Amino acid sequence: MPKADLDNENPTILNVSQLPSRRQKTRSARNGPDSKYDHLLFPKQSWPWAPSKTTSSWPSDDDEDEAMEDAYNDEYTEEPIDEQEIYDLISTISDPEHPHTLGQLSVVRLPDIYVTPSPTERLDPQSLRTVLVELTPTINHCSLATVIGLAVRARLEQALPPNYRVDVRMKDGSHAQDDQVNKQLADKERVAAALENDTLRGMLDKMLETCA
Amino acid sequence: MDKKAAQISPLAALKPDLYQRAWASVPHPTLPLLATTHANQVTVFSLATLSKHSVLAGGHTRSVRAVAWQPAQPANRLRLVTGSFDASAGLWTWDDDSTAAAGLEREVTLTGSGGDGNTDEDDDKDWEFNLVLEGHEHEVKGVAFNPSGQYLATCSRDKTVWIWEDVGGAGGDGDDDEWETVAVLSEHDGDVKAVAWCPDVPGRKGRYSADVLASASYDNTVRIWREDVDGEWVCVAVLEGHEGTVWGLQWEPTTTTGNRFPRLMTWSADATMRVWTLREEKEEEEDQGEDVSGGESRLFRSGLGGIPNTMRRSMREEWECTAVLPRVHTRAVYSATWSADTGLVASAGSDGLLVVYAEEAPQPAAATGIENTAAAAEKNGEAEEEEKKGGAWRVLGKVENAHGPYEVNHTTWCKRFDAGAERKGEEEMLVTTGDDGVIRPWQVRIS
Repeated sequence: MPKADLDNENPTILNVSQLPSRRQKTRSARNGPDSKYDHLLFPKQSWPWAPSKTTSSWPSDDDEDEAMEDAYNDEYTEEPIDEQEIYDLISTISDPEHPHTLGQLSVVRLPDIYVTPSPTERLDPQSLRTVLVELTPTINHCSLATVIGLAVRARLEQALPPNYRVDVRMKDGSHAQDDQVNKQLADKERVAAALENDTLRGMLDKMLETCA
Repeated sequence: MDKKAAQISPLAALKPDLYQRAWASVPHPTLPLLATTHANQVTVFSLATLSKHSVLAGGHTRSVRAVAWQPAQPANRLRLVTGSFDASAGLWTWDDDSTAAAGLEREVTLTGSGGDGNTDEDDDKDWEFNLVLEGHEHEVKGVAFNPSGQYLATCSRDKTVWIWEDVGGAGGDGDDDEWETVAVLSEHDGDVKAVAWCPDVPGRKGRYSADVLASASYDNTVRIWREDVDGEWVCVAVLEGHEGTVWGLQWEPTTTTGNRFPRLMTWSADATMRVWTLREEKEEEEDQGEDVSGGESRLFRSGLGGIPNTMRRSMREEWECTAVLPRVHTRAVYSATWSADTGLVASAGSDGLLVVYAEEAPQPAAATGIENTAAAAEKNGEAEEEEKKGGAWRVLGKVENAHGPYEVNHTTWCKRFDAGAERKGEEEMLVTTGDDGVIRPWQVRIS
């Protein structure tokens, strides 16, 4: 694939109304993202910094805990998280350079998000699901590719239940140092250390300001 | 071939839960204590009461990733080294002068069950932060003491391994602590994730220096280091085979087959675990102790194809992968542990699985394994080779979702000292440490 296809040097900026969304839900998603994700964010929000008590004591020696856990798990089995929902979580992250969101810049694209096993497949709530997000950075030699990837990973790890494993990669050929960036983003220890770096953390917080 | 199986059942988690990601839990070599790293501190648990013994806090500004107990300490003293994302390693001492006569063991065994809240402040006072070892440029990711406790190795994202020597008066007060940098090893091309010293087992000695260090890296390789005749630490082997970051490594804790050099087990982001064996010439083994120079020249010939022996002997070593453990994990293997008592191996990782493996039959001699794999490698493609290599190890049992939906960062064998143990101080259990902040012991029964 020619590089030019993927370079976004003069990024096309999509209007918010052009972005993929679930039609009936558009309104609530745009107007009230806070309330929409409450059920997702609240029990999880602190993770990885401080996981909630509800899910931390498995296998539980305590019946009450289990009851709470079941109620909590039911919420997920009722409404599985699909690609669109993942998209909604990360497309609103701001680009560190351009005054637009990753969705508007097509750094994050709905067809490049994969949930396995498919959200339509019902699973034990403890079973792992993998979310793969392929990013298309705006510039080929974007030194900020790692930062964008980190923001996406941090956002998803905060927002998704703990049985979701998040893999963030650069879309094939879109970025000169793909392998390096991908390896860094896949490294839990490096990600954890990066999130403790104040400068980086400040940058991420700013990027994530627009999404909840 | 008897088909043994392992029943792995959860025991009550250590109290209290930490409610945040915990990285690793390291048992004391002899006492019933377990040190767990989480956030910028270490919580020490008593394995007698299965509850909090003490906390090491206030020494590091960022997460503590790794911890190691310094071996060979006087009876009334505990010593820990911490490795932190703040790029430093910290040295901590617990001196218990009041109960010096009684000995720390009794102290540790009998107390610790006191109310959690009250003991906190007292406990904090008892650990003294003695020394900061500075030098690494980035996060320290691993720390390890050699068997005598004289050397400490630290490793970092800055791609280096540092070796420090305890030059303070051994057995003296914490006040005259002095550590010297002996070596900075910078041959890895990526973060060094873990370091491990070869244990003091028969078979370790005999060639070069006694102490052997191994390091695992983000560059997908493992390196073996030894001290040469001039006191320089040099890389004697690069172990290549993993297709992802090598997260950790452990030396074979005991060699059941006499003088064989211990093997090395490694685990990786490629979801595999490998066992590596030093190629020891058969004749050389027989010669050992009789005619050292003869053994050397033979080794020299085989290694370097007849270069005259007037040159300083080569320290190059041939290590080869002699086993790939059965592939059970689907994501990165973050931790594995090899029991000195039973030879059983357990592993854990990103997929939440806890797996126990056994080696089918102890290898009669290193040479057998090597011949097998060499023959297989010649005969056919890699697939068959792998199959053959994996044949020696078998899965005895596994637990899914060992920490619920969370990742498991660490697992270790350790002795049981709690009331439920049948043989205190002898019986082994597994302990896993997870992103959920739970430290969970597991009973493993082989039947």
